Amino acid sequence: MNKKSKLYALAGVTAGALAVVGAASAHHAFSAEFDAEAPVLLRGEVTKVEWVNPHTWIHLAAEEEGSDETTAWMVEGGTPNTLLRNGLNKKSLQVGTPIIVRGYQSKDRLCAPACKANGRDITLSNGEKVFMGSSGTGAPNDGTDPRERRGPKTELPDVEPN
Amino acid sequence: MKLALKSLLTASATALAVAVAAPAMMAEPPQTDYEPPRMPDGTPDMQGYWTNASLTTLEKPDNLPIIVPEKQAMMMAGLIEASAEADNAPTDPDAPAYEAGGAEVGGYNRFWMDFGSALAKVRGEYRSTWIVEPADGKLPYTEAGRKMAEDRLNEQREDYDNPEVRAAAERCTVGFGSTGGPPMLNVLYNNNYQIVQAPDKVAILVEMNHQTRMIRIDEEHRPEVMDQWLGDSVGSWDGDTLVVETTNFEPDISLRAATRHRLYMSPDAKVTEHFTRISPEEIFYEFWVEDPEVFTQVWKGEMILRQAEGPIYEYACHEANYSLPGILAGARREEKEAATAGGSK
Repeated sequence: MNKKSKLYALAGVTAGALAVVGAASAHHAFSAEFDAEAPVLLRGEVTKVEWVNPHTWIHLAAEEEGSDETTAWMVEGGTPNTLLRNGLNKKSLQVGTPIIVRGYQSKDRLCAPACKANGRDITLSNGEKVFMGSSGTGAPNDGTDPRERRGPKTELPDVEPN
Repeated sequence: MKLALKSLLTASATALAVAVAAPAMMAEPPQTDYEPPRMPDGTPDMQGYWTNASLTTLEKPDNLPIIVPEKQAMMMAGLIEASAEADNAPTDPDAPAYEAGGAEVGGYNRFWMDFGSALAKVRGEYRSTWIVEPADGKLPYTEAGRKMAEDRLNEQREDYDNPEVRAAAERCTVGFGSTGGPPMLNVLYNNNYQIVQAPDKVAILVEMNHQTRMIRIDEEHRPEVMDQWLGDSVGSWDGDTLVVETTNFEPDISLRAATRHRLYMSPDAKVTEHFTRISPEEIFYEFWVEDPEVFTQVWKGEMILRQAEGPIYEYACHEANYSLPGILAGARREEKEAATAGGSK
């Protein structure tokens, strides 16, 4: 197999892995609970963090455009276990922290006690991811990367499929 | 290093088929001089925390050989790392909402995920699939078995009449994708296990859904009418290998679907597992699935369970499962809207 073929083959699998991230169905299918046709953009301060399984819920008082009023929203995240393993906990996101949420509203459209959406992208006001804003809280690392086992990282081949 | 990920992904659409290199068929665990620590009764001590998080999947991906060259395996790890960095990078705080139905539709940020960062190394080889028999690394479904799997999958995609029809994982009865097993398969996150041993029992605490597989040593199976969520497991020691046989599966867990596999097993399936500690950091895990109604042959997988950092974290799924009522309420709303649109009310 030539180099290009290898890259294609590799990319095929990597695409699968990336799709896992993008479509992350977790313990249920995204499409079963949320409406892909109902995107939301929420800005507001965190009012509560539910550090629970199977999904974390981050509550916020979302600002109403052109008004001083706010609306209660709660946004779904993944399991907190992965973050716990990386040294994070429910205190890592403090009440009162301004956040921006891009996601999709729940199909039920129920807004009691709060409107619901998934937290496809949850960032701080400067755009940093809420649980990635400080050093030392990197992506989960399971120790299987062969380069880690060898100590210092070796240089990876440059991948430019042209 | 800057990776042209988008180009790679585009190229993947025209990916070429590659030759399948089958791993050597071996019924025994790898030969090793390793002397495991032992329990007071002399059996190997396998207690501790273990994980099977990996890019290796149950079935062979179409675009990879079964045995992946080391250089290619490292490239994959690099691509995964790069994609994680890209997804975790800051976002423009002034960006608008995502487009309705657009390419960004999906779950949530990468930092919630823990599906592994590299292919597993089994018998010294980077493997793309856990399956070693049949040699093509694919589940050997019978025609009827594949139909059963597809029918159940379609049911779960289309039927929202009541909680009972929903997937067992949605209902918080078991973890999704057969993470609890048997066979114990890797999924998106929570791929962690704790083994605790006693002379007459071996317990495997599964992080997903906080379930415990209780393996009774040198005992008989319970009567067939006694189905259990993770089946009825009895074990015995064959030298330094723990042999576990599981039957009596609960029908509701027949479909063990995850993002990257669609495993279907009938309640009459029998799973045999071998656990052999082969190093301070590894348990060699073999499993055989026997289910004539669903598969054309007994199929076998080989996996490495790697030592993990503890502890196991609680996954009290039932306590805060807003998702299931949300899913059913969403279906009710859609039904009302359809009825209104149809003028029936």
